[in-house]
Amino acid sequence: MKLVIIGAHLHREDVEPPAVAVAAGDLRLSGIEVADDQPLGDRDLLLRVAKTRAALLDRATFIAIRYGFTVRDGDTSKVAPFIERWRQLLIEHRDDVEMTLKIAAPAPRPRPDRRDFTSGADYLRALQAANAEVPPAFRDAAEARIPCLARRWTARDNASVEMAALVRRADVAAVFEAGAALERDFPDVPFLLSGPWPLEVFADVDQ
Amino acid sequence: MPEPSEDLTLLETIDHLLDRGVVISGEAVISIGDVDLLYLGLNIVLANVDAIVRTSRK
Repeated sequence: MKLVIIGAHLHREDVEPPAVAVAAGDLRLSGIEVADDQPLGDRDLLLRVAKTRAALLDRATFIAIRYGFTVRDGDTSKVAPFIERWRQLLIEHRDDVEMTLKIAAPAPRPRPDRRDFTSGADYLRALQAANAEVPPAFRDAAEARIPCLARRWTARDNASVEMAALVRRADVAAVFEAGAALERDFPDVPFLLSGPWPLEVFADVDQ
Repeated sequence: MPEPSEDLTLLETIDHLLDRGVVISGEAVISIGDVDLLYLGLNIVLANVDAIVRTSRK
């Protein structure tokens, strides 16, 4: 059997069935137990993991681990370098979650064609330049109205831009109210406010 | 603001599952047969943006 890992948790009791807990230093990793030969691309497995992930967040905030990491025989050595950092984050943000504001570009820019470039660096610059942009007035309003502890903007691709916000669980309702106000005031800006999510963007040690 | 539909919520959840969170080194390659999950993730993101536009126009 192998565990398809979902997240890293501060306490053993933060992990509930159908998720299984495995020790990783002081922390616990949650996962879904599957047969060794079970393909990770299986649709039903993906849905099971997605639903379990959401249920775990209802219980307590955790560090999200991207789908695809598996553990066999309790060997969690690959996450050892992260443990202390994760433990600090989990203590610091026990009562916080992430929210995502995803904005679809009003007029997505055409993606550059790799064959038009002889230099990889030029191609990367062109890709960057083709990233979607948020109307400045909407961006300012979103930053002013959405109550958060921290935020990070990311150009996902040439069709959407995302703001990840670290918010207190107690403020989630206020965040949705801010979303409603944005919807009223910017009817022409297509966006989706979603969450709460576990620590995803703000768990990245490189950021 | 109106709650997103159940389908949109699930789509968004799967998008986060495949495209957010800490990447553990050495475990990023996921492909089954001819289907690469990275490709699947891309499709989900594209579908999601399309869904956002449609939802917004309602």
